[in-house]
Amino acid sequence: MSTLLEKHIVELLQERNDKAIALLYDNYGDTLLGVAKKVVRSDDLAQDVLQESFIKIWKKADSYDPAKAKLFTWLFRITRNTAIDKLRSVSTKSDKEIQIDVSNVYTIGVDSTRPELMDVQEHLDKIEDKYKIVLDALFFQGMTQQEASEELDIPLGTIKSRLKIGLRELRKIYGPALLALLINLV
Amino acid sequence: MMVEKIKIFLDSDILERYLLDSTTEMETLQAERYIAMYPEVRKVYNELQENLQSYAKLYAMQTPDGLKEKILARIRSERTGRSRFFRYAMAASFIAVMFASASYFFWDQNQILQEENTMVSNKIKLLEEDMKQQLEDVRNQFIVLNNPQTKKYTVTGNKKAKELKAVAYINPVKKLSYINVKKLPHLPEDQCYQMWAEVNGEMLNLGIIEQATDGKNLMALPYAKNAVGYITIEPKGGNENPTVENIVANITY
Repeated sequence: MSTLLEKHIVELLQERNDKAIALLYDNYGDTLLGVAKKVVRSDDLAQDVLQESFIKIWKKADSYDPAKAKLFTWLFRITRNTAIDKLRSVSTKSDKEIQIDVSNVYTIGVDSTRPELMDVQEHLDKIEDKYKIVLDALFFQGMTQQEASEELDIPLGTIKSRLKIGLRELRKIYGPALLALLINLV
Repeated sequence: MMVEKIKIFLDSDILERYLLDSTTEMETLQAERYIAMYPEVRKVYNELQENLQSYAKLYAMQTPDGLKEKILARIRSERTGRSRFFRYAMAASFIAVMFASASYFFWDQNQILQEENTMVSNKIKLLEEDMKQQLEDVRNQFIVLNNPQTKKYTVTGNKKAKELKAVAYINPVKKLSYINVKKLPHLPEDQCYQMWAEVNGEMLNLGIIEQATDGKNLMALPYAKNAVGYITIEPKGGNENPTVENIVANITY
């Protein structure tokens, strides 16, 4: 993701030009849909979430402050929160508890992964499960650290340290090769 | 001390939770302050952001066909809603501007009318005073002329102005006196007749006698016992003091 493109998109957003949304969709749509899917675990719901997220992104364009967060971080937060809200409203409607299937948290179905990401999948498999479980629970399942601690039966302190280490080790684990690959993909 | 503060902050998971937007308001403020103030915190935060993006991308999914168009259509309908709002806003501001300028115009007109009104009422007041004064004069003239106690003196000119004829009316009871100059001999262009009255040893200038009055107007004379009225020939425009050698008529009343 070039900074130049980011800047251009941000400018368009501030001008309230809807080309910004088209560009955001082209460049981040796949990733954000993946984020939504990880939270709601349903293709249909994930698509609803993506749609609602883009409407929110459009409406909240004024509130984006490049000094506070990278464009993706902002998009991620909106999508994740929208997905969590969606999940809550759906579970309230169906009066069903959110069952966290631990095995599902970090297992990615082949159908939901782009084939060109298969190499990445290999890399992803290399990350220690104990970090992935925590990262997924916190990133995508909308769990608080306390909830993650209870659901995963891991002490809160361990959740905290695994979140930290997991996040910081990502770069070390994949190194520049992953970044180069990701840049190529986008 | 500062290094320790930063270490404590980085050891906590506030930054990680701030990244995911799950901090409390206080924690958000703290995180933003640390990121702004300390380069090492900023570096860690930027790395976390990049890692989050890398990690999220691992789960990227192909977006279905048509979803993009659906989203863009919804955004465009939001936009038209917005632009309709702007159209109304534009119309509203135009009307507001019109209303404001109309108000100013009427206010300005009102100011002008008020000024005119003041001017007119002042004029009326002046006219009223003037009329009262004139009425008073006429009343006095009437009193003098119709009063049986009024004495009538016929004034004739001396040899310098033989044709001069005037009538003076003096009422010692009402203490009013008038003179009616009926006929004045013709004078060269650069000369005029002037009326004077010597009252209590003081010579008062009563003004120039216009040919045009032609006996139609009565001239008020200041009343005093044993006053003397004079008519003199003076240079055009009148004189400050009477030219004694040019006295053409006098009247003692």
